[in-house]
Amino acid sequence: MGRESSCGPYYQLRTQKGGNCIVGIPSLSSQELTSHLPKRRLDVYTSKIISSDKDLVALVFYGTEQSKNPRNSFKHVYIYHDLDLPGARRVQDVDGLRGEKGAQVAGETMGSGNTNLGEALWCCSNLYSDIKLRLSHKRLMIFTCRDTPHGGDGERDRQARTKASDLKETGVVIDLMHLMKPGGFDVSLFFCDVVSPPEDEAELGLQMEPCGKLEDLQKRVRAKEMKKRSVARLNLCLGEGMNVAVGVYITALQARKPNAIKLYRDNNEPVRTKTRLYHTQTGSLLLPSDTKRVQVYAGRQIVMEKDEVDVIKKFSDPGLELIGFKPMERLKLHHHLRSAVFIYPEEEMVTGSACVFTALLRRCSERNVFALCKYTRIRNSPPRFLALVPQKEEVDDGQAQIVAPGFHGIFLPYADDIRTLDTPQLPTASESQVDKMKEIVHKLRFKYRSDAFENPVLQQHYRNLEALALDLMAPEHIEDLTMPNVNMMDQRLGSLAQEFRDLVYPADYNPEGKTAPKRKPGEFCGTEKKPKVEMSEDELRGHVQKGNLGKLTVPVLKDACKQFGVKVTGTKKQELIDALTAQLTK
Amino acid sequence: FQQNRCNEYSPGNVLVSVNPPLLEISGSCPCVLPNKDTLVLCLDVGFSMSNSATGQEPPFQQAKKVIQKFVQRQVFAENKDELGLVLFGSDNTKNNLAKDDQYQNISVHRHLMIPNFELLEEIQNDVQPGSQQADWLDALVVCMDLLQNETLGKKYERLNIVMLTDLNTPSSPDQLDIIIGNLKRAGITLQFFLPFPVDGGGSNPPHGGKALSREQQQGLEMTKKVMMSLDEEDVTGVCNPDLSVFKRVEKRPMAWPCTLTIGSSLSIKIVGYKAVCEERPRKSWSVVDAQTHQKDDIKRDVVYCLNDDEETEVQKDDTIQGYRYGSDIVPFSKVDQDQMKYKTDGKSFAVLGFTKQSMINRHQFVGTQVLKVFAPKDDEHAGVALSGLIRALDDLKMVAVVRYVYARNGNPQVGAAFPCIKEKYECLVYVQLPFMEDLRQYSFPSLENNKKYTPSEDQLSAVDSLIDSMMLVEEDGEKKDLFKVNHIPNPQYQRLFQCLHHRAVNPSVPLPPMDPWLTTALQRPLAVATRCQAPLETLKKKFPLKEVVKKKELKTSKELFGNSCLGTGRSTSLAELFGNG
Repeated sequence: MGRESSCGPYYQLRTQKGGNCIVGIPSLSSQELTSHLPKRRLDVYTSKIISSDKDLVALVFYGTEQSKNPRNSFKHVYIYHDLDLPGARRVQDVDGLRGEKGAQVAGETMGSGNTNLGEALWCCSNLYSDIKLRLSHKRLMIFTCRDTPHGGDGERDRQARTKASDLKETGVVIDLMHLMKPGGFDVSLFFCDVVSPPEDEAELGLQMEPCGKLEDLQKRVRAKEMKKRSVARLNLCLGEGMNVAVGVYITALQARKPNAIKLYRDNNEPVRTKTRLYHTQTGSLLLPSDTKRVQVYAGRQIVMEKDEVDVIKKFSDPGLELIGFKPMERLKLHHHLRSAVFIYPEEEMVTGSACVFTALLRRCSERNVFALCKYTRIRNSPPRFLALVPQKEEVDDGQAQIVAPGFHGIFLPYADDIRTLDTPQLPTASESQVDKMKEIVHKLRFKYRSDAFENPVLQQHYRNLEALALDLMAPEHIEDLTMPNVNMMDQRLGSLAQEFRDLVYPADYNPEGKTAPKRKPGEFCGTEKKPKVEMSEDELRGHVQKGNLGKLTVPVLKDACKQFGVKVTGTKKQELIDALTAQLTK
Repeated sequence: FQQNRCNEYSPGNVLVSVNPPLLEISGSCPCVLPNKDTLVLCLDVGFSMSNSATGQEPPFQQAKKVIQKFVQRQVFAENKDELGLVLFGSDNTKNNLAKDDQYQNISVHRHLMIPNFELLEEIQNDVQPGSQQADWLDALVVCMDLLQNETLGKKYERLNIVMLTDLNTPSSPDQLDIIIGNLKRAGITLQFFLPFPVDGGGSNPPHGGKALSREQQQGLEMTKKVMMSLDEEDVTGVCNPDLSVFKRVEKRPMAWPCTLTIGSSLSIKIVGYKAVCEERPRKSWSVVDAQTHQKDDIKRDVVYCLNDDEETEVQKDDTIQGYRYGSDIVPFSKVDQDQMKYKTDGKSFAVLGFTKQSMINRHQFVGTQVLKVFAPKDDEHAGVALSGLIRALDDLKMVAVVRYVYARNGNPQVGAAFPCIKEKYECLVYVQLPFMEDLRQYSFPSLENNKKYTPSEDQLSAVDSLIDSMMLVEEDGEKKDLFKVNHIPNPQYQRLFQCLHHRAVNPSVPLPPMDPWLTTALQRPLAVATRCQAPLETLKKKFPLKEVVKKKELKTSKELFGNSCLGTGRSTSLAELFGNG
């Protein structure tokens, strides 16, 4: 059985204390002392560690022979882990319960005894109340494979139901994670009264299966969990005096490695960084107001206050401003700049928003048009234009939502963002060549799913961390799904690849050959560098005077900067040139 | 010759131009090769330039603005283009050809140089209308002479002369053919900015203005002759409707040569180019001391200190890096990390398989760029092979899903290569697709099944009329698009350069308001704004909206979070809970 209190949307911003907590309480009965169960708990631990490292987790077994809880007032309830942040130690503990040997250990330490779910729930409610931190979300998960835990003991069933409803009243969400059971697990026998009903279903119309998919738990995938929260809540202005409140969400954004933390070498404690700004001559500390901002153009230094630099970026107040509508085919595929945003009404800010939004969504979708909007996210952010593409809700057979209703906001490029290319003039393929390629394409068809590929860089990183934390010999192997399965492809293609090659390439053509050999034969992989050409000061001054420093390459400029002791803050070519020019014209 | 409507010099006036045009709108330039141009601005400051119909700006002021805007852009573009300025009709005479009474009142104000703020200031303060007159053809000859003498032994991509005159001086056409011949020989291109329209034969009086004088008509005929005889190629020139637009900093597209692979035995040589990417300014702000304006007077220091009461400082060398693993922080040195991290062995554009275009969700594109993939310029076999793939995909409405690695030890991506067939070229368009970790599968409450939010037929038809009135693409006829975002220059940079220019020339004056043209360019087009008035009023009546008064402070976490996370809570799937989603 597990319990979690997960962070509210703004929680992590507010305080580090009292994040989320999970309490795991699997029932232990003889048939459940299999390798199955602890494995699953372990997965919850390891993935929870990656997904949200501020959640508190506890693990409590019920139906044990031994009892272990404060004051030992609850029989057959064994608190294996108190409510706390999960760490490497705990993962190792649970790991010890895996497999046959683990089952044996568990049997020895806890044993298997009477089941009293009511007691277990009571114990859990004490765990929650013992925590002094404010918990935003509390979740309790029951892992069991017995649909009638008390074997028909009506009194215990009743007691458990009462305790469950007490818990639910205090805001705890109870989930059931039922495991495989021969003959099927019948939720209606008992657990339907224990677990929390789907929240606000009447209001929200969302229906979920009573229990999530267990296989998700078994997936050894680490991903940072993202709490649903809007990046902005603003007005969508349809025209003067017609403001609809909407929330802006991000639904796909490149996940990156979490930031590294600096530690003190001697004790591995985190250190804090402080940035100080001081005057080089007097050594006195400077306030931000003691500074100004400059840019140099054509040899002239242009000075502005920091406020001015900020206010230059201001065009309009935050919001979405409707410009008009366009047919969908006007949205160009290659007009992509960054991840799209998702727009959904905020009825709580402006009543009536959802209705306007729904009407707009429906008509845009039916008429196959998108709305063009000017988007200002925050104060002092320059405007960008979004194509608001309608998306209607889609649900699966079980009425679970597959696709959410709302608009996708696609960022559109400005003139500056589109580069002009010199397109080569080349012959095109003949019909037979195209047909041959079609056969190839046909052979290598697959059903793309956006969640089918894991990021090998991140997965490797998380596994490395895990290995270090748990003192594993080597990190767990990852399967790199980005690599083409060459053998399978070759097999499927058979002779097609050769046939296509014969159709398009002459016999003496090597498509793998290098067009311009980069290295001379006999040299080894690019480790050696070109000998540095030191430039004389006169030479450099000459370049400066003639204003053709721009002809030099960035590495040469960098070397020149080093050579003449010029400090450069940036790495942009223009910045190097400016720095050198400033130094040599002093 | 090509006539281009241009709203700047004066509304409804015309820029007569030969290739290449003075102004290039982004995207119209046929290629972005590294080039260095030389340009001589030839400005008529003769007395007739000060004359104007009442209420109109004199031609001189209009021409001066054109020049200022142009020089401004050149200064901020910081390219190596050199620029000269020749005034004619000036009170003084200063040029190489002046002798006796020849080439009088023509003054080389500035020799070929990279433009700077001094030039801008000179134009602002020193270039004033004169009381004399000079033959514009003579001035042209002076400009040609200047170009020839000062570019001797240097390499230039293009030589240009831009004439700004009202053609109101008698001009002798005897030398015209010789001049044309010389222009051709030297490869000099010519452009005219005239303060009156030339379409309709040039003899019609410009609307609202005076009829052309005899000199002007004669001059115009000569201009036409020059332009016609110079115009050998197709003129593709586009006149930017607004000269205030700062020319974008052109970047040379970087070629990314690679090999597209399908399985182990099918390879096609390719070259990728960034086609769309958020352009950022070349320069960033640096911090200086407020008094001295010196960068060196300020030093930024990062210190590390322990989390104890004394905030004991420690040396950077005594720190190592670690990552959070639950409640623990796992020390993980950079060296170890580099050794253990995922590695790739080189650039790659490997096809993983093919899938229906409809399987790829547009809104799930990630990454910050779009690549266009061609075959190498000189490799026609690769061209045919790639064309085969592009056409097959296009016919089948499919895409290639590929593994993309930019360079050795670069992070691998999975992306989609779409077929793209244009009149002039074919290519693959590559966009990065999300990894499982990038997706956030939030669910949102249904809008359809909720009676409270269901709009009535009446309301729907009100929305329909709004959409009708606000269509930016006219359905009938030419399908003109009233609002093309990809034709708007990034307003952030337009505004930045406007302010930089202002501050550079007027250091102690507050920043100017935004240019009106820029504000207008970012607004709903006037025609649409007018058209949608009535439907908008109806909409307001049909849909009551009420702003919710914000409660001061929400006390409990339930209240605080309960509202903002509609649809989470119980409905959160386990996958989401454990971060498996």
